[in-house]
Amino acid sequence: MANEAVTTEQYNYDIVRSFTIMTIVWGVLGMLVGVYIASELAWPFMNFDIAAITFGRLRPVHTTLVVFGFGGSALFATSYYVVQRTCQVRLWGTGLAKFTFWGWQLSVGLAAISYMMGYTQAREYAEMVWPIDLLIAVTWVSYLVVFVMTLVNRSQPHIYVANWFFISFILATALLHIFNNMAVPVSMFSLESYSLHAGVQDAMTQWWYGHNAVGFFLTAAFLGMMYYFIPKHVGRPIYSYRLSIIHFWALIFLYMWVGAHHLHWTALPDWTSTLAATFSIMLLLPSWGGMINGIMTLSGAWDRLRSDPVVRFMIVSLSFYGMSTFEGPLMSLKSVNALSHYTDWTVGHVHSGALGWVAMITFGSLYHLIPRLWGTKMYSEKMIFAHFWLATIGIVLYISALWVAGIGQGLMLRAFDEYGNLAYTFIESVSFLHTPYVVRTIGGLFFLTGMIIMAYNVFMTIRKGRVEGAALDAKLAAKLANA
Amino acid sequence: MSSEKTNQTVQTTGHTWDGDLQEFNNPLPNWWLWTFYATVIFAVIYWIFFPAFPIGNSYTKGVMNDITYKNADGVENTTHWNTRSLFMKEMQDAREMQKPYIDKISKASYAQIAKDKDQSAFAYSTAKVLFADNCAPCHQTGGAGVMGLYPNLVDDAWLWGGSYQNIETTIRAGHVGFMPGFKGNLSAVQIDNVAEYVLSLSGEKVNVANAAKGQAIFEGAGGCFACHTKAGTGQIAMGAPNLTDKIWTIVDVQAAPGLAEKKAVVKSVIDKGVSRDMPGWQGRLSDADIKMLTYYVHQLGGGT
Repeated sequence: MANEAVTTEQYNYDIVRSFTIMTIVWGVLGMLVGVYIASELAWPFMNFDIAAITFGRLRPVHTTLVVFGFGGSALFATSYYVVQRTCQVRLWGTGLAKFTFWGWQLSVGLAAISYMMGYTQAREYAEMVWPIDLLIAVTWVSYLVVFVMTLVNRSQPHIYVANWFFISFILATALLHIFNNMAVPVSMFSLESYSLHAGVQDAMTQWWYGHNAVGFFLTAAFLGMMYYFIPKHVGRPIYSYRLSIIHFWALIFLYMWVGAHHLHWTALPDWTSTLAATFSIMLLLPSWGGMINGIMTLSGAWDRLRSDPVVRFMIVSLSFYGMSTFEGPLMSLKSVNALSHYTDWTVGHVHSGALGWVAMITFGSLYHLIPRLWGTKMYSEKMIFAHFWLATIGIVLYISALWVAGIGQGLMLRAFDEYGNLAYTFIESVSFLHTPYVVRTIGGLFFLTGMIIMAYNVFMTIRKGRVEGAALDAKLAAKLANA
Repeated sequence: MSSEKTNQTVQTTGHTWDGDLQEFNNPLPNWWLWTFYATVIFAVIYWIFFPAFPIGNSYTKGVMNDITYKNADGVENTTHWNTRSLFMKEMQDAREMQKPYIDKISKASYAQIAKDKDQSAFAYSTAKVLFADNCAPCHQTGGAGVMGLYPNLVDDAWLWGGSYQNIETTIRAGHVGFMPGFKGNLSAVQIDNVAEYVLSLSGEKVNVANAAKGQAIFEGAGGCFACHTKAGTGQIAMGAPNLTDKIWTIVDVQAAPGLAEKKAVVKSVIDKGVSRDMPGWQGRLSDADIKMLTYYVHQLGGGT
């Protein structure tokens, strides 16, 4: 405890603390909205005929809060922490880092409010209207500057692997965000704008962005998180440096090509489709490289699965990562996609990645990070166990429900009778979805409950940390007075 | 996995971060490397057989993947594999498979279709989809309609007639259904009496004296009989409903609990009148499609 004051000065932990708290706040809110829209699909009356809370408006609120609010804040927090610890240097630009915090929180908050008011760019995962896009661009470039300058100032000869992943994520996201959102506003004072791209090229740009948001934001960056927190938490070296280099370069080279697999069987040229499908297949093993390195690093610490819930979060996150990066290439094949596209299978797949991988590795990392940030132990380890089980059961319910929903829906939509006519009407496929939708909602409810327990646990931990810190300060002051 | 063995023999890279972070330098797992090569080989084979790489304004077409299809006008075309041609080929196969049925049905009478098991099953299967695409938005998937807005097609009460010919005419040309509102032309008391009479036509217990006054207006000054006939049985030529069959299409009289409520809903119709419009499908659907749809809708209502 005594050196806590020193580390606080040495490193900028304030910014990490702020982002950590917002991770929890957006997590609770975003997942709450998620559960609500899931119940709207199961029981449509829950719209209550209020435009602002209909599925169409709340859906981007949900995705923005969980991806950018929860996931984004977690990445800011952990990347700022990791880059300082592994470069052995204080974060560059205290003021600019603070600006990235407020810029980011404001962007997420304004985005959510504007969607509910009906303002949208209608680009998936980039629904923010142009003024918010500008704010995000400025914030993101500041993030890049802070991160790169910290790396430049490092007192370590080598750059740790986690930082490669973080820097590729920051660079790629800047590129994606700016190109995808190029638009001409209708007027200076209008929130509406026209995209600079047109037709199928617009769709292609959108999915180049959309899939790489998954690739760089939700995969590469969280691999960065994994590469620090797993070896650090279990106190074992990374399994293979060589594997980390190979899979890093293969991953970032291959990911950029695959976005078009979201546009199979559309007006997109067939050659583009082929490239997207084949690069997706080739992406499987590079994706698994991260999983192998993570699991093999954990191997040898299996005994801690019994006693340490954080290790459980980590191993489960890697398992879901492996599963969803297997499922993705499979779904990118044109023939499989003909069945899966436009069904809930896609939604299930995204959630096996988002809940199983992204959220679980975040939970594991935060449970490691939070005690160190506030200089205390977690308030309740039992609650971490409870969170782990609620989250895991929730994911399993969610994903299996949407496999049934999606595959069933896909089969029904293309079933023909003996005379070559469609066997089912669309509404029949909709009523079929009701039961899986209910199960999905229950799964989401489990996951949300776990998140709320975490929020309470973290709140109590911070309070405990402050009390202990104050007691320590008082003791110190008393000693100084006596001397 | 033989990790434990290798972990102990393999050296770290010699770098250390944050106190204790280190990296082993284990070789790439063989299964990982060979599976990766396999996915690359899969991709290369895929590129050879399918359109894959852009070259200038064109692209590689892939080898041995020709698709030959006839379009809807019977013009034959051969191209390299592409999703559009694949679709055209599937449509051609479906057309050729369905043609014998459609040819037969086009020449057959409704009675013949109903008698022939194959033809009636085909007509039903095709028209179910046609109905879902064209009719269900108003009449609902099951054909039950929406009270007050879109007529019920399954209850065997037909505003415009339920014979095959009537239904076909309805589908081809559509209909405009209109009843004027009487508020202003008749006094409130008169409308009250007419409502009571109308209810009596379908056997509701009403005030007999009032109903008699209503009948006089119905058959005289009100002019209701001009469309609904003096007996109240309606006329299909004008789409005027039968008022004696206890089937209500504009307001839900059955659901109204007492006489006062029943009268209130009937009065609202007499006050405001009714105006409904169904568009025609002639030109939007082929003759054969309209025929099959007619057969299907006729069967929904149990036929006449």
